Amino acid sequence: MKISNLKKNYEKFSLNIDSLSIDEGKIYGIIGPNGCGKTTAMKLIAGIEKPDSGQIDYEGLTERDMTMVLRKPYLLNDTVIRNLVYPLKLRNIKPDDGLVNHFLEITGLTNLRDEYAHGLSGGEQQKLALARALIFSPKVIFIDEGFSNMDIESVAFFENYILEMQSKKPMTWVIISHQLSNIRRLCEHVFFMHNGEVRASGSTGSLLSDPRDEKLKQYLQYA
Amino acid sequence: MFELLDREILGIITLTLRMTLLSTVISTILGVPLGLWLDHAQFRGKHIVVLINRTLMASPPVVIGLVVYLLLMRNGPFGFMGLLFTLEAMIIAQVLLLTPIICGIVYTASERNSSHIRTFAKTMGASKFQTQVLLIKELSNEIYFSIITGFGRAMSEVGAIMIVGGNIRHHTRVMTTTISLLRNRGEINQAIFLGIILMLIAFAVQLIAGFLRKRERRINENF
Repeated sequence: MKISNLKKNYEKFSLNIDSLSIDEGKIYGIIGPNGCGKTTAMKLIAGIEKPDSGQIDYEGLTERDMTMVLRKPYLLNDTVIRNLVYPLKLRNIKPDDGLVNHFLEITGLTNLRDEYAHGLSGGEQQKLALARALIFSPKVIFIDEGFSNMDIESVAFFENYILEMQSKKPMTWVIISHQLSNIRRLCEHVFFMHNGEVRASGSTGSLLSDPRDEKLKQYLQYA
Repeated sequence: MFELLDREILGIITLTLRMTLLSTVISTILGVPLGLWLDHAQFRGKHIVVLINRTLMASPPVVIGLVVYLLLMRNGPFGFMGLLFTLEAMIIAQVLLLTPIICGIVYTASERNSSHIRTFAKTMGASKFQTQVLLIKELSNEIYFSIITGFGRAMSEVGAIMIVGGNIRHHTRVMTTTISLLRNRGEINQAIFLGIILMLIAFAVQLIAGFLRKRERRINENF
């Protein structure tokens, strides 16, 4: 995916991304302070919102190949199981019992499969949203603070799960997180955003251990 | 008192139900899509259209009745259709009263929730049609409430249908206009009796609607 001259203007905020490249099968992280434009950038790249100007070359990817998990996921006014299989239903794919049971198991929702999803805790809702995004095997998955309400054990479990998935069948991941531990463990490449711009980018190790950008240095001081 | 339950009163009950059901169905067909469209559409003067709709939601039935009367009277623009003092005229007046109510309730619900639902649909790769289906499904509680409210309004209506229907015996006399007539004649007991039947019918309709919704949910539980 290649992004160039992406612009989006709001009343009190402007997003400007000159150039950004996302390669297939890699895990990317986006970090930065609150209000720096991470979510806006992600929504524009994922095609959820339209930019005022600029180009995104999806290189053959369609909307159906991508998905996004939001911090406060939208859950259907329905049961856990029907939320989980919803993307399959949209694609006229008959849910496979083995696959469904696997995702219920890894999210710990097997016993709650017939309960209404709105009754789940914040962490459970995020797990369900993540499983719902993974169940149809998208090519690109965007996660906007999708682990923020999960307990430490669940976060560790999903980090391992994602890394294991990557070793078997690599997908492209773009992850926004304020937990640098998530970014360090998962991401190969990191973008640092500040005030609507990508101020720095590079491999996770070098960027976070040897930051050259002043704003990034300041940001990492408190991380 | 029970002599009222003769063929004439059964005819009045049947006519009341026909008028109420037909006007509710037509208003639902018009009001639900209109409410959804009004939320999604962006055009100049939209707030004025919303304001007009809200005014119409509270419009006095006698005024609507008068407008329909003027349109359908022999010398009026639609006088040639010969609809005045018929069931059709009563349904037209009811539709003019009910449609803004249904449209307004659906618009308000959609305005509150549709952006989340549409964003979610995009993240799942839903088509435009699938997004519309999802929107209706997710707003089904509010749509149901709007229909029930419309039905209640249609059932209890007196002023408008008295003007355009004329309360003609064996022809356009419905339960509410009969109650009004009985009260004018001083036949209070019979008016109360008919009022109780009207309440029982309204209660029975609520029971049936509630049962159908529960049944629909049960059917949907098999993903």
